[in-house]
Amino acid sequence: MSTAGPDLIRRMAQGDRAAFAPFYDRYAPLAFPLVLRIVRDRTDAADVLQEVFWEAWQAAGAYDPQRGTPEAWILTRARSRAIDRVRSIRRRGATFVAPLDEAIAATPDEGRADAAEQASDRRRVASALDRLPDAQREVIELAYFGGLTQTEIADRLKQPLGTVKTRIRLGLERLREAIRER
Amino acid sequence: MSRHEHDEFDELVAVYAVGALDGDDLVRFEAHLAVGCPACEAALREADEALARLAVDRPRAIPPAHVKEALVARLAATAPHPRPATRRWLPWAAGVAAAMLVAALLGAGFTATYYEQRLGIAARETAALRNRMAAQDKALREELRLYAGAVELLRDPRTQVVALHGTGPNPEAIGRVVWNEAAGGQLFVANLPAPPAGKTYELWKITGATPVAAGVFTTDSAGKAIHEVGPAGKVDVFAVTLEPAGGVPAPTGPIVLASAK
Repeated sequence: MSTAGPDLIRRMAQGDRAAFAPFYDRYAPLAFPLVLRIVRDRTDAADVLQEVFWEAWQAAGAYDPQRGTPEAWILTRARSRAIDRVRSIRRRGATFVAPLDEAIAATPDEGRADAAEQASDRRRVASALDRLPDAQREVIELAYFGGLTQTEIADRLKQPLGTVKTRIRLGLERLREAIRER
Repeated sequence: MSRHEHDEFDELVAVYAVGALDGDDLVRFEAHLAVGCPACEAALREADEALARLAVDRPRAIPPAHVKEALVARLAATAPHPRPATRRWLPWAAGVAAAMLVAALLGAGFTATYYEQRLGIAARETAALRNRMAAQDKALREELRLYAGAVELLRDPRTQVVALHGTGPNPEAIGRVVWNEAAGGQLFVANLPAPPAGKTYELWKITGATPVAAGVFTTDSAGKAIHEVGPAGKVDVFAVTLEPAGGVPAPTGPIVLASAK
């Protein structure tokens, strides 16, 4: 039986419970650091991760391999749920904006994969986001990992809204080009 | 939509993809997506892939074991009830199964109701947005038709532009009638406050001594109005009066705008 990502999702869509564990094992270690980086609290991150994978099980039927990779499918979901959590915490009045830079800089340390994999991962990290000009990297990080909207970013950086939009567009274009080059 | 008009959406796609679109931009872009735009959908998918790649390129982290355990347990709970092992237990097991079935149905019913409500709200919001957009679209098309008509008239050497000035309580009100005796024309009004409730503005074409009704209109919150004037013919004076809603066949109210004789 195939254990390729799209096949696992297709089997989940057919109600095959045996496909869920391998799906989780493959994609949870990918989604967890992203969620943790956004929500910053391990307990919250674990909650969000559980929510994301439960929804993935229920929504497996809606996945269309023609329209994207399993990675993008699960990570878009994970990112969006994590941001929902951060925004609801912010709405409850906790000051989440101040330690944001720290959050953006933080990388989860626990439960790492082995050292060799880690080293190769580090090399790959340097190839995408870090290659962006600082101004573009900053706005993408504030939005994607920090959950700030364009208006909030403009306020925070004291830049015109149009500048923020343009930086996001240029930064994202570069990231897309970086992928095409692979 | 022309290439140039679509450029704006190229920027909005990127901001939407990183989840940072807000305010009017968000409403406009989601409306644009809702009517279906293959270019934006493709750009969005490509952006999602690029952003996912950021996470793929980062070190993996094994989540706490209890997350998987909880999910697997939840999954097992959705499994069909196992068959009773022996016949002896059948009546008891059947009773339990029946009770569990009732509980499951109640639970499912509750969940279904909840999601039906959510879907209902979403559907109503979508319908309201669509209606609002359709109304806006209709208003914009009408406005465009009137502007285009006025521009067309201005190309004709026989067309005159007649100035109307505010009288009575609104001396700052102004009007311009772009008038062509062969084709009719348009009235443009500015600085005229919206009429009070139950009232309307009515335009009169006066030739000799007889005012002929030329339609009713209201001004918007900015004090502006565009009004199509017909039919064609010779006109000495244009005047606007304040009249009961619906208009009247002969002027009864105060004159608010009038052209010189």
